[in-house]
Amino acid sequence: MRQDHAGHRAPLFKGAEQPSIDRADIVIVGNGIAGLTAAIQARSFEPDARIAIISDQNHPTINTPALKQFAVGKLTREQLLAYPPGTERQERIHLIHARVEKINAQSKSVILANGSAFGYGALLVATGSTPTALPSQLPGRDFDGVLTLHRLQDYLDLRRRLSEVEEAVVIGGGAHACETVMGLLHWGIHVHWLIRSAVLLPRMLDETASEMVLERIRQAGVTVYTSTEVIGIVGRVGSVIGVVTNHQQFIPCQLVVACTGTKPVTTLAKHCDLPLKHENGILVDDHLRSSVRDIYVAGDVAALKNPLTGQYEPRAQWYAAVEQGRMAGAMITGHREAVRPFGVPWHATHLGDLSMLYVGNPLQSPSGAYVLTDTSRGGYRRLLLQGERLIGYLSLGPMQPDSLAIKRIIDEELPVRDILKGLLKGEFDARQYLTRRRTYTAQDLVTSGRLASVKPPTVQTAAQTTPEPAPATRSLAPAAEAAQLEPRLPTTEQLPPLSTGPVLAPQRAPVAAPAGNAGPRYPIVHEEEEISPFTGTLPALPEQGQGRGQPGTRLNSGSLPSRPEQERGGRRNLWAYSDPALPAFPRQSPAQRQQVRAYNEQREGGR
Amino acid sequence: MRNPVLLHKTASQVQQELEACIGCNECLLACPALDEPLTIDVLNRETFGGPISAPVARFARSCYQCGACVPPCPVGLHRDAMMMWLKIRLYRSGEED
Repeated sequence: MRQDHAGHRAPLFKGAEQPSIDRADIVIVGNGIAGLTAAIQARSFEPDARIAIISDQNHPTINTPALKQFAVGKLTREQLLAYPPGTERQERIHLIHARVEKINAQSKSVILANGSAFGYGALLVATGSTPTALPSQLPGRDFDGVLTLHRLQDYLDLRRRLSEVEEAVVIGGGAHACETVMGLLHWGIHVHWLIRSAVLLPRMLDETASEMVLERIRQAGVTVYTSTEVIGIVGRVGSVIGVVTNHQQFIPCQLVVACTGTKPVTTLAKHCDLPLKHENGILVDDHLRSSVRDIYVAGDVAALKNPLTGQYEPRAQWYAAVEQGRMAGAMITGHREAVRPFGVPWHATHLGDLSMLYVGNPLQSPSGAYVLTDTSRGGYRRLLLQGERLIGYLSLGPMQPDSLAIKRIIDEELPVRDILKGLLKGEFDARQYLTRRRTYTAQDLVTSGRLASVKPPTVQTAAQTTPEPAPATRSLAPAAEAAQLEPRLPTTEQLPPLSTGPVLAPQRAPVAAPAGNAGPRYPIVHEEEEISPFTGTLPALPEQGQGRGQPGTRLNSGSLPSRPEQERGGRRNLWAYSDPALPAFPRQSPAQRQQVRAYNEQREGGR
Repeated sequence: MRNPVLLHKTASQVQQELEACIGCNECLLACPALDEPLTIDVLNRETFGGPISAPVARFARSCYQCGACVPPCPVGLHRDAMMMWLKIRLYRSGEED
């Protein structure tokens, strides 16, 4: 039970037995992070749609990666919540505690376990994954003390058992196994770690990196067995007392934890009246659409095409699930402009006491690519380069680099010649690099005199021709525009026509528009967000009539654009969650920004 | 001394970092400025949009950008940049008085 804002006791799930509704515009199966993210995203686009999440999970959405911190007692259960209590209520998302048995795609409904039908306008399958259990023929796999760690209940179970465990066996060669090993070690348990392959994380680490991690884990007191498999689990009166390996070795233990990976929960795909294609996960296209109309799939259960191999495979990771949830929410509500590509694979975690970062495809070897490695500073870096472009980055070391910035460098194919040494040595300051890239653009503008040659903007253009100055101060630019300061990206074509009059045809958005006209058409750009408030320019005070004068709207307008804005056809900026009722920092006038943009395009055109 | 320019990330970057947060609370556990219970779900939710509750506002004011939250992050995120964003939101909202 938890409390809503008014302090009333509210049931955890609304209508546990009899749902108060029997259809919703958007039905989401599964309340993992992908499902809830999609629901919240869809709500931000469709304030009036009826959104329902159907799940048989008995707790709210939690940060599943944080379960390892929960396992070592750093966190309480309450600290695991992914969103504050009451978020679903606040976002008007119906939570229905039920199990979905099958999908009637022809009649657009799902059948719940009690036999009732629940209609949908669009369906999102976000049923997640389940741990791959030990092989069914493995002797002794059902003894008490043989666990998998996947859900909250599993970790609660583990924590209850810890006091009785002196020695434990962990089976598996992935990051999850590594985290489990370290968690058990934290409790003073002697851990035997059995890895089937010769290296740890064979898909992500090369031999050097794997050995580096394993060596440190051995030093921490763990007994590591590589190229070793369990061939049987030995028990006494129903409880585990040890395992036997393929090297005919008996390892005594009171706990066996199988961390042998996960598999997508595709039961609903099997129980769908229309062919919902699935193999290892439910197959989806790059926009998360399944093979059946109006059925979308997100999270661990979605199998996306790997551009490198052409295979469909799930990306069972937290960040991928969040991204997919966001995309699903945008796709279902028809806001394709809010969809951004997933980019290259990205995985960052702790392996023992080392931080591991895997971006792009550092272990691949496409033609023309070359590898650079470095082992200085107590770490290891492996760079895969193709020409001047970085296409893969693997890093292992005491400190995690700015992981998302490196993803951005790869995603946006930024040249890395000047920063190669820093990247290789692990001392690369990504933020400095990205900041400088912007600064150089601005510096060019100032020193080349181009800025001065353009007629200075007049304030009155914006005021006179933009009828709604208050909302116009908000960034409404599309997501793609966030990166528009990079000169190589097309800019003007992507800009939203924000005038309240008829939407301008794209070809009429002139590249070389006179600066004076640019103001009203593009009163908002995103790069003002890119400017640091600490560069010396202090933010301007809120304009009259905004911000301070409207306490009611001020704080609560965070993410949702108002209806009129939607109807105007303005493309909303997903990132600009900043308060629309408040002015952005008006450091650049609209026309100045237009000049920057025109200059960028000119440079781009000259190349 | 760190270059203060580098403390700030763009809106899109902060949003991306918030999404990538796995909620392990390591940053809050390392924070010397946090002096009342605050959970990462509330902090993340309020950092980028919506109402800012009193505990989060107090935390945002007391954050002095020491950067102690950055090294413990298992996924290499920058809570300091997120806090800066929160400070900016707080400033904009006029609640900084």
